[in-house]
Amino acid sequence: MLLFAVNVSAQKITSADLQVTGLTCSMCSNATQKSLETLGFISSVKPDLNKNIFVLTFKKDADINLDLVRKKVQDAGFSVGGLTASFSFNQLKVDEKGQAIVDGNVYRFVNAKNKTLNGTVKASVVDKNFISGSAFKKQATTANSDAYASGTGLINGKKTRIYHLSIS
Amino acid sequence: MALIILCARITVSGQELYVFTEPASNMPTKSIGVRITNEGMFNYPGYVSRTIPEVMFGFNKNLMAHAQAFLSDMDGKYRLEGGSIYAKYRFLSLDEAHSHFRASAFGRVSTSKRPTYTKDINLEGDNSGMQGGLIFTQLLHKLALSATLGYAHAFENQARQIAGMPRPNNMLSYSLSSGYLVLPITYKDYKQPNFNVYLELLGKTDPSSGQSYLDVAPAVQMILNSKTRIDLGYRFQATGDMEGRYTKNMYLVRAEFNFFNVLK
Repeated sequence: MLLFAVNVSAQKITSADLQVTGLTCSMCSNATQKSLETLGFISSVKPDLNKNIFVLTFKKDADINLDLVRKKVQDAGFSVGGLTASFSFNQLKVDEKGQAIVDGNVYRFVNAKNKTLNGTVKASVVDKNFISGSAFKKQATTANSDAYASGTGLINGKKTRIYHLSIS
Repeated sequence: MALIILCARITVSGQELYVFTEPASNMPTKSIGVRITNEGMFNYPGYVSRTIPEVMFGFNKNLMAHAQAFLSDMDGKYRLEGGSIYAKYRFLSLDEAHSHFRASAFGRVSTSKRPTYTKDINLEGDNSGMQGGLIFTQLLHKLALSATLGYAHAFENQARQIAGMPRPNNMLSYSLSSGYLVLPITYKDYKQPNFNVYLELLGKTDPSSGQSYLDVAPAVQMILNSKTRIDLGYRFQATGDMEGRYTKNMYLVRAEFNFFNVLK
């Protein structure tokens, strides 16, 4: 029980830099900002209008769903060009396939295996629709994960979302 | 090298919030836009104007719709002359960091109480009918180009026809639009006004007679507080003609207000 409680508070995403593509006017950025602000687990959205980057800060202990972040950008009519999140890991073991499971979230690292991650780790989501279409195609040729194309795979016999991360 | 730096400095972004046409891109999901447009024509032979209140809905990232009403003094007293429903579906999006290509299909159904004094078909006020078409928009960092191809069919209008009046039937329409973001050069916050300039080529061909015209339509646009849009445009007939066409040498003034995340 104690172990479980420690896990929940110790493993989380604190913030993320979200690059949005196709934004050409402040009205487009404003629509994206307003769309992101409807997510309950986001505490603040700070835009860099010149670079089309939104710095997202997440609520403490909230369930953070990066797919919903992507969906909100798409709802506004645009696409995610990149999402780099600050993860806070507590002695996270990455196995020989680059896989690690944190509070039910399954991560596969494309550039880390057989190691332990601790403290703040910055990593980019490299799944489909989190990077540009051409970058995804390029990544797909080198990714050694059977779950990369779909972003889902069988974990303990259950179809599960698998986020592919690249440590920056 | 110096040239590259210079180019980077004077780079302006493309804009696709066209004044006389629609881009292939859609408005945001769950948002509502309200527009009021005034069009004025000077060679009716006298001056006449049309007012178009319009409500726009973003249902999801791919589907949006407009509902319009048309009021004008073109047949005497200012009156409500009809309405129109327009829907647009985006079926292709290829987004890259500094460019995107999008394609949409659209359809329109319009009613109008006006008699038909010309074979030209204008489903925004002058004719009852329907239209379908395709829009392709390419954003290339500093240039936003859009092409529209449409085919319109006017409904029979026996009741309001006077003997000898032209009978509009079908109309092919096509346009090429470009837009530039002029200001701000550097974005700082949402309160900064945006200033955009547009140049559009608007053409129509009557397939039965082969008659065509092509208008050149420059426009300027201000975006205030990142939610209010003001358009000012004028269309000049550059080449060709169609007897009695209304939209020849016409100005357009528009205000648009956007409300984000208001639909459930």
